[in-house]
Amino acid sequence: MTQEVVTIENKTGIHARPASIFVQTATKFKSKVQIQAKGKTVDAKSILMIMSMGLVKGTEITIVADGPDEADAVKALKDLVDSKFGEE
Amino acid sequence: MADAIRGKGVISGIAIGKIMLAGQNLDGYLVNYQPESKEVESKKAQDALTAVAETLRENIDRLQKQNMVEQAAIMEAHRMMVQDPMMAQKIEEKLEENANAPQAVLKAAEEQAQMFEMMEDEYFAARAVDLRDVGKRVAKYILGVKEPELGDEKVILCGREIEPSVIAGMPTDKIAGVILGSGSTTAHAVIIAKARAIPTIVGLNKEDRIDKIADGDYVIMDGEEGKIIVNPSEEELAGYNEKIKKQQEMAAHYAQLKDLPAVTTDGVKVDLMANIGTHMDVDNALKYGAKGVGLFRSEFVFMGRQDIPNEEDQFKAYKEAVEKCQGNLCVIRTMDIGGDKPLPYLNIPEEENPFLGYRAVRISLQRKDLFLPQLKAILRAGVYGKVGIMVPMIINVAEFKKVKEFIEEAKLELAHEGKAYAEDVQVGIMVETPAAAVMTPVLAKYVDFFSIGTNDLVQYTLACDRGNANIAELYNHFNPAVLQLIQRTITSARENGIWAGMCGEMASDPNAAVILMAMGISELSMSAPSIPRVKEKIRNISSTKAKEILADVMKMEDGDEIKAYLSKVL
Repeated sequence: MTQEVVTIENKTGIHARPASIFVQTATKFKSKVQIQAKGKTVDAKSILMIMSMGLVKGTEITIVADGPDEADAVKALKDLVDSKFGEE
Repeated sequence: MADAIRGKGVISGIAIGKIMLAGQNLDGYLVNYQPESKEVESKKAQDALTAVAETLRENIDRLQKQNMVEQAAIMEAHRMMVQDPMMAQKIEEKLEENANAPQAVLKAAEEQAQMFEMMEDEYFAARAVDLRDVGKRVAKYILGVKEPELGDEKVILCGREIEPSVIAGMPTDKIAGVILGSGSTTAHAVIIAKARAIPTIVGLNKEDRIDKIADGDYVIMDGEEGKIIVNPSEEELAGYNEKIKKQQEMAAHYAQLKDLPAVTTDGVKVDLMANIGTHMDVDNALKYGAKGVGLFRSEFVFMGRQDIPNEEDQFKAYKEAVEKCQGNLCVIRTMDIGGDKPLPYLNIPEEENPFLGYRAVRISLQRKDLFLPQLKAILRAGVYGKVGIMVPMIINVAEFKKVKEFIEEAKLELAHEGKAYAEDVQVGIMVETPAAAVMTPVLAKYVDFFSIGTNDLVQYTLACDRGNANIAELYNHFNPAVLQLIQRTITSARENGIWAGMCGEMASDPNAAVILMAMGISELSMSAPSIPRVKEKIRNISSTKAKEILADVMKMEDGDEIKAYLSKVL
């Protein structure tokens, strides 16, 4: 199992567009990927679950992956969040 | 014998083609739906989810090819909602309670929509709209309700209510006509149709007349008479083809006027410009000989999307329109949104009196996060041509001074960010409140131009709702109270060395254009297809004669009398 803590920095948080990019990225990997935030754990391959968490700017999240490509999955998702999804 | 259905024709012209229904209500289908066993219903729901996801994937490909990146991203989010494991799970839960696939899908989507709605952050709360949209789409598939799909053929768009974004999102050459159930001639869907010269009939919700028209029906619609013939006979088709021929001859006549100026026989010139909703409308406007854009309704840039358009998105939209104006002026009106045309992501509460409420510049001045990016985008677009900023709904000088402060701040930010912008952008106001019209002698010292917005000016001056059919007769732009305010505005402008124009419906009335010209107006902006008619009127009269008529008109006491008099002498 690999995990990494990141903070959402883009102005609008994880709304529809970033959430869909996030889920698309997570779906590329075979590993089971989850997000932990605000005391909840959700499937990172479910856009509804991710959006239901209300991840606004400043929220700290833990990306957890478990499976054959877990290290790559966590890195890819961390990079995505760090890049602010290409937004401001 | 074919049935004729009557409505109110608002944009003339004849269209013949197949009906495409928009904005269907599913209640009727749901009542008639016969559910089967739990297993069968579950299978139906799963199949529908897969099929809708596939359709969305095709749409996304198409949007990406057309470089409509933002819309493609939204559709992508929809596709993922459809295929979401949580959505499938919720649908199964609902099927346990009641084995009815379409109901289960709608309930599952609604439940999640409500969950989003409860979130404090407005971005997330606005996702409820997407979920309901997605749920409806899947339910429609199960119910066998066809999704509007654009083929090669032109269609006549028909619906009780048609979202402005639906028409705005369709290519101009795909819509032959619009049939709208609600009665408003100034509904946004109608305004867009007008800019594109699409024959339009409204008011068919009355007595549920609209229900006589079904999806796929072959119809003739006459936008002049407000008549719709469903499944016409051979003779009727022949008759209308004759009318279409005459229509084309008229269009050819008007086409000859295209490059001629709107100038009176004794040399007084008026600039005729176009009102547009999207940059796509500019091409159409130029075909009618528009000398630039007198009103770009920027709110369309804000509509039909899920979040606030950022500076970059707005800049692209404005720049494209400005470039297409080829050096002629392009006046961009800052966001004119209020409780009557709400945007889900703005969270404007429902108001008892939206026309007197929190709207237009009143929102802009309180929402720096909205206003500043818009001003910056317009200032940047100014580099690519000649741009004006027009502020709607102004009632006093203080508001305008605040707007100017915002513009200075926007320039400062742009300079810091090292982005190119135009220093010489004109800043004017829309004169659409009686307060502004009365105060024009003072306002004229601060602004670069006035543009009279008659739709609201008439409505506010006469305390008369322009959409209310019972008092439609009171709504008259020739009412002497309105004419006095207009004359005052034009005179204030001339005395202070600035220009005055008009961008309301009144500008497209050829008889009104004559007296406005006599009052000294410099510019008239209208839906582009009206330009040739107005131009022809102006080219056939002298300013001396027009001034005599104006003198007579200003002595009259009654709006109807003025209207009748002008019809007689002009």
